[in-house]
Amino acid sequence: MIQLVWLIPLLPLIGAIINGVAGSRMGKKAVGLVACLSMAAAFLISVSIFFSLIALPEEARSIEVGVFNWITSGSFQIDISFLVDPLSTLMILVVTGVGFLIHVYSAGYMHHDKSYWRYFSYLNLFVFFMLMLVLGSNYLVMFLGWEGVGLCSYLLIGFWYEKKSASDAGKKAFVVNRIGDFGFILGLFLLFWTLSSHGIHSLSYKTVFASVHELDPKVVTAIAALLFVGAIGKSAQFPLYVWLPDAMEGPTPVSALIHAATMVTAGVYMVARNNALYSMAPEVGQVVASIGIFTALFAASIGLVQDDIKKVLAYSTVSQLGYMFAAVGLGAYVAGVFHLMTHAFFKGLLFLGSGSVIHAMSGEQDMKKMGGLHRHLKTTSITFTIGALAIAGIPPLSGFWSKDEILWEAFSKGHLVIWAVGLLTAFMTAFYMFRQVFLTFSGECRADEHTKHHIHESPAIMTVPLMILAFLAIVGGVVGIPFFEGGSKLHHFLSPVLSHGSHAAAAVEGAGEAVAEAHSSLEFILMGVSVGAGVLGIFLAGLMYFPPLKSFAPSFWTAENMAGTFSPLHKLLYNKYYVDEIYDAVIVNPIKRLCGWCLSFDLGVIDGIVNSAAWITRFISWVSHKFDIYVVDGLVNSMATLVNFNSSIWRRMQTGYLQNYAFIFVLGVLIVLVRVLLG
Amino acid sequence: MEQLFFYIFAITAVVAAILVVSMRNAIHSAFFLIVCLLQVAAIFVLLRSPFLAAVQVFIYVGAVMVLFLFAVLVLDVGKEAFREHMHSQSVPSLVMVAALLVIMGFMMFSGKLTVPPGAYNEAALAKNTEVIGRAVYTKFVFPFEVVSLLLLIALIGAVVLVMRERGKGADRNKPEDI
Amino acid sequence: MIPLSSLNISFASIMPEMLLTGLALLVLVLDLFIREEKSVLGYVSVIGLIALIPVSARTIEAKASFGGMVMADEFAAYFNVIFIIAAIFTILISMDYLKKMNVRRGEYYHIILFSTVGMMVMASANDLVTLYVGLELMAMSFYILVAYRIASARSVEGGLKYFVLGALSSGILLYGISFTYGASGSTNLSEIARQLGGFQNPFLILGIVLITVGFGFKVAAFPFHVWTPDVYEGAPTPVTALLSIGSKAASFAAFMRVFMVAFPAFHAQWGEILWMLSAATMIFGSVVAIAQKNIVRMLAYSSIAHAGIIMMGLLVYNDLGAGGVLYYLLVYAFMNMGAFAIVALFRNDRIGESISDYSGLASRRPVLSFLMALFLLSLAGIPPTGGFAAKFFVFSAAIDARYYWLAAIGVVTTAISLFFYAKVIFYMYMREPDGEAVMPESGVLYNVVLLVTAFGTVFLGIYPTPFIDMAIKAVKPLLM
Repeated sequence: MIQLVWLIPLLPLIGAIINGVAGSRMGKKAVGLVACLSMAAAFLISVSIFFSLIALPEEARSIEVGVFNWITSGSFQIDISFLVDPLSTLMILVVTGVGFLIHVYSAGYMHHDKSYWRYFSYLNLFVFFMLMLVLGSNYLVMFLGWEGVGLCSYLLIGFWYEKKSASDAGKKAFVVNRIGDFGFILGLFLLFWTLSSHGIHSLSYKTVFASVHELDPKVVTAIAALLFVGAIGKSAQFPLYVWLPDAMEGPTPVSALIHAATMVTAGVYMVARNNALYSMAPEVGQVVASIGIFTALFAASIGLVQDDIKKVLAYSTVSQLGYMFAAVGLGAYVAGVFHLMTHAFFKGLLFLGSGSVIHAMSGEQDMKKMGGLHRHLKTTSITFTIGALAIAGIPPLSGFWSKDEILWEAFSKGHLVIWAVGLLTAFMTAFYMFRQVFLTFSGECRADEHTKHHIHESPAIMTVPLMILAFLAIVGGVVGIPFFEGGSKLHHFLSPVLSHGSHAAAAVEGAGEAVAEAHSSLEFILMGVSVGAGVLGIFLAGLMYFPPLKSFAPSFWTAENMAGTFSPLHKLLYNKYYVDEIYDAVIVNPIKRLCGWCLSFDLGVIDGIVNSAAWITRFISWVSHKFDIYVVDGLVNSMATLVNFNSSIWRRMQTGYLQNYAFIFVLGVLIVLVRVLLG
Repeated sequence: MEQLFFYIFAITAVVAAILVVSMRNAIHSAFFLIVCLLQVAAIFVLLRSPFLAAVQVFIYVGAVMVLFLFAVLVLDVGKEAFREHMHSQSVPSLVMVAALLVIMGFMMFSGKLTVPPGAYNEAALAKNTEVIGRAVYTKFVFPFEVVSLLLLIALIGAVVLVMRERGKGADRNKPEDI
Repeated sequence: MIPLSSLNISFASIMPEMLLTGLALLVLVLDLFIREEKSVLGYVSVIGLIALIPVSARTIEAKASFGGMVMADEFAAYFNVIFIIAAIFTILISMDYLKKMNVRRGEYYHIILFSTVGMMVMASANDLVTLYVGLELMAMSFYILVAYRIASARSVEGGLKYFVLGALSSGILLYGISFTYGASGSTNLSEIARQLGGFQNPFLILGIVLITVGFGFKVAAFPFHVWTPDVYEGAPTPVTALLSIGSKAASFAAFMRVFMVAFPAFHAQWGEILWMLSAATMIFGSVVAIAQKNIVRMLAYSSIAHAGIIMMGLLVYNDLGAGGVLYYLLVYAFMNMGAFAIVALFRNDRIGESISDYSGLASRRPVLSFLMALFLLSLAGIPPTGGFAAKFFVFSAAIDARYYWLAAIGVVTTAISLFFYAKVIFYMYMREPDGEAVMPESGVLYNVVLLVTAFGTVFLGIYPTPFIDMAIKAVKPLLM
């Protein structure tokens, strides 16, 4: 069975090709069917691979499946081959499983769109690249997937290209991701070069991880840092997170699949996959954790005051990704991957739920114009609330277990600051999520009459995926509950892949060890604290936004009052710390100017040089004119025959600057010669 | 003595060449070109290659330039056509060319011809035509044949670019295309 | 006197050139007898060229023949195949072009064939004299082809510019050859290397610089690229395609052979010059391309940028780099030809050549726009296309040879280049055409060209190994 792993990415690719080539003539039903069936088949194969894998003895659970030999030059060789191990299996389960549900949901959500086939073609293509990313057994296959998902993300964000904001958001995502990818490529080059100077001409994980201990730790640090730059871009961490909120311009199921559940977690996957590298570079781990936890707090604070239903979820995603990075940065790879998985469930659910709301509200996304939707959208509101409870960390939902594990790891490793910030973020998360829930579903509807009239529950094709995801969001945490006999199942499952990372990291963290031995009673206390933070957040949000509770609130505790009292802070948060504006002023505009300058170089600068000497030319031409009149003309006038030969060629010659071209050419010769002489 | 003549010929050639490009009348340019080419022929004589000198005079001065003058006269290309094509860059150009001259001169004088003269010494060159004939038909036979193709293609090109299309001349009447 | 026997007259070694000349002459004569249906000439040329591929791909012996003038080794064979492929595609897309432009003249075909002969002579030249006449044969053919539409001012203007600047560059190249001859006493490449040893001589350096400039013009390296946009724009589009592929490949072939066979001892000097040119060319080409609104000019600047990358492979001077050049040019022949074929289709149908004319192509002609996207992504170096593998080889060769900065510049400019290639894709897929835009019609021949080039682009990307091995094997003797 495991040998059939190549089918998993191939099926979505075939779906993408069929829909891309023939989709416009196939009819919507057929397009949707092709896309969903390919995903379903891929999911079934993933499940059976998962079972074949756990049937194997633990030490044999890492199988490389070669597909074909891609590049061979000398001793250097790159294969297209896949690595089936616990980590990649978990990832393909999440990608194909959540991906399948979102495909089904999309079939309902996008039903009215004229470019239905284009949408599914892109979506399937995205899944293909994502699977390549997580399944690849060497860095180049991962890179291929890495670039491919970026491309699909760009295409899907700008899917409604008629909207300028959408195409701009696509461009922004693309450019920001390029910055990160640049670091990633440099990291790969550095890795390749370092290895080849050690006589290793392979980029497959196995050889790299086996030989990484022979490399200079400084170089490994640099590689890890550069790769992390790629992760910052792809996983929307500070300071490259700016594209993700804008990416909400894309269709909502896309936001759910790409910008919440799968693609943005690629960075976390990459760090976890490279745990051998990161455990050798504890400094980089510290940076990763610090950036992660800072991003978590930063994005959560922005999320507190946003009014757009999807923007809140976008900042929440950035914030949750920050948690994951905090975990993997601390060497708690399992905790990070665990949170990745549960987050895929509940954030996918929340996005799809918001899509259902937007669908019902005829495209309205401003929460100030919603309210009271519970009456009409029963399924949506219940599932959405489950998702919100999960992300708020309320036991026994999945989010509680994974978030708590991260906080516990931070605490037990002695990083009390990270723990405290994480706790604060958890509180904020609970607050803004329930602010959203209350604003959307409770109270009186604030929409206009026309929209009100149209409010309706989504069809079953959309609500069934919501229910399944809600179920997963509730029970998904079971695999990671630490109290069962033998500890967390997930820990057990993943440790063969991630162990050499966490062991080494634990060794580095000498100070943390004593704390790690602490009693589980401490763990219970911490759990209580974090649950308390979540409940407090929900309660405060309820006091402020939930009508039945509002009357109990002290008089200063209203949204308007708080905004007024802390007006500068509110303004700062509402405008997202002005980061976009700062980027525009500091980076975008200077680059635009530089570009403009470069563009005109070909014609402008050379002409400028030429023209600056024009006055001498005039003088010389005056002299030569006199020379002409008195000397040459006098001699040859008798022979001269003057008629216009005025073909367009000559006119073109005069305005086509052939002489200037020759001038540039000879100038080039001169420059090269001078350079050679001086060098 | 030979040196003196060389410099006379060379300087005349260079001055004539400059005049070729600076004249505003095509006829004048053509005449100065003839002067220039004659100097080159003279230098060939100094190099003990009378055959090449003769070929130079026959072909360039005799055939090519006469044809050229003929064409200029027939087409009435006159002063007007040669008015100011330099796009106000003659001075920078002159400065640049002067700089190029200085740099190249510097490099030439600081370098030296390290290799002694090859097979074509004075004695061998006594039988001038024979040496050329042998070289062309033995060692250089391949490039020589390629040159024949080059001439053929030049001929075809002349025909293609001058000859209008047969028939209605349909192509001409079309609006400017892309 | 040179005894005839020592010349090693071996007709087998120039068989491809001879046969191709014969084919060209046959087409020339047929042109006189076939009055109306000139496309027959195109078919004859294509069939002849296809039959020629096995002959040119085969090498008898890698030994200099004709008095050291010709070296028909694997290096030359590899390039010959590239030239023939480029010529076949060019003729196939030209037939559509000539029909739609209503040009009923047959010289076009044999001029293309003669230019291909010139390229072959350049690739197998082992002597500066042979090299020069081959180069002139090719260039002369291109002067005519660029100006072929004498009714169009742009075409004639382009031809004239190319001619004047080409003559200038030929003069500079010849000047360089003269200095080299002066410093070494020979024009034969291996003889030059033997005579020179490692002796530093400014006289020779001058020659090397001028030869570099001469080739730099032909491959469109900054700052000798100035002719490129105008000429590419003015020429008939199929000619532009051949110019950007065949002419560039032939010039690189000669470039490599001269520098690697004749001047290996002076790698430090020419390496430095090429470093500078390569970096400047990559940066300039990709930055200026961003501004272009006309797709032909955009591709012109893109071809400049590619020249910079290929030059990097030449200058790193190891088997991976030099082999990478050969492989790169092979891939380039497919991907660039494909892109130009689609551009030619748009121009032939008089739809336009502005990038905005490609709006909404995806919804009207999904296959065509998919292929265009494929070619452009390959040019941008996105896996799994051939463009990626080619760039990968050249960059990794540069890193191997410790040209870190150059490789970094290459990576950055590649990233920049994605921007302007993606712009076209963006227009095709994300914009709707204004009103009822006309969409091009491609005939059977066209579809064949597009599918074969697309297949080549992808195949070379996913299975490059045998081709890169051949390329490395072909350059090995030059690296001795």
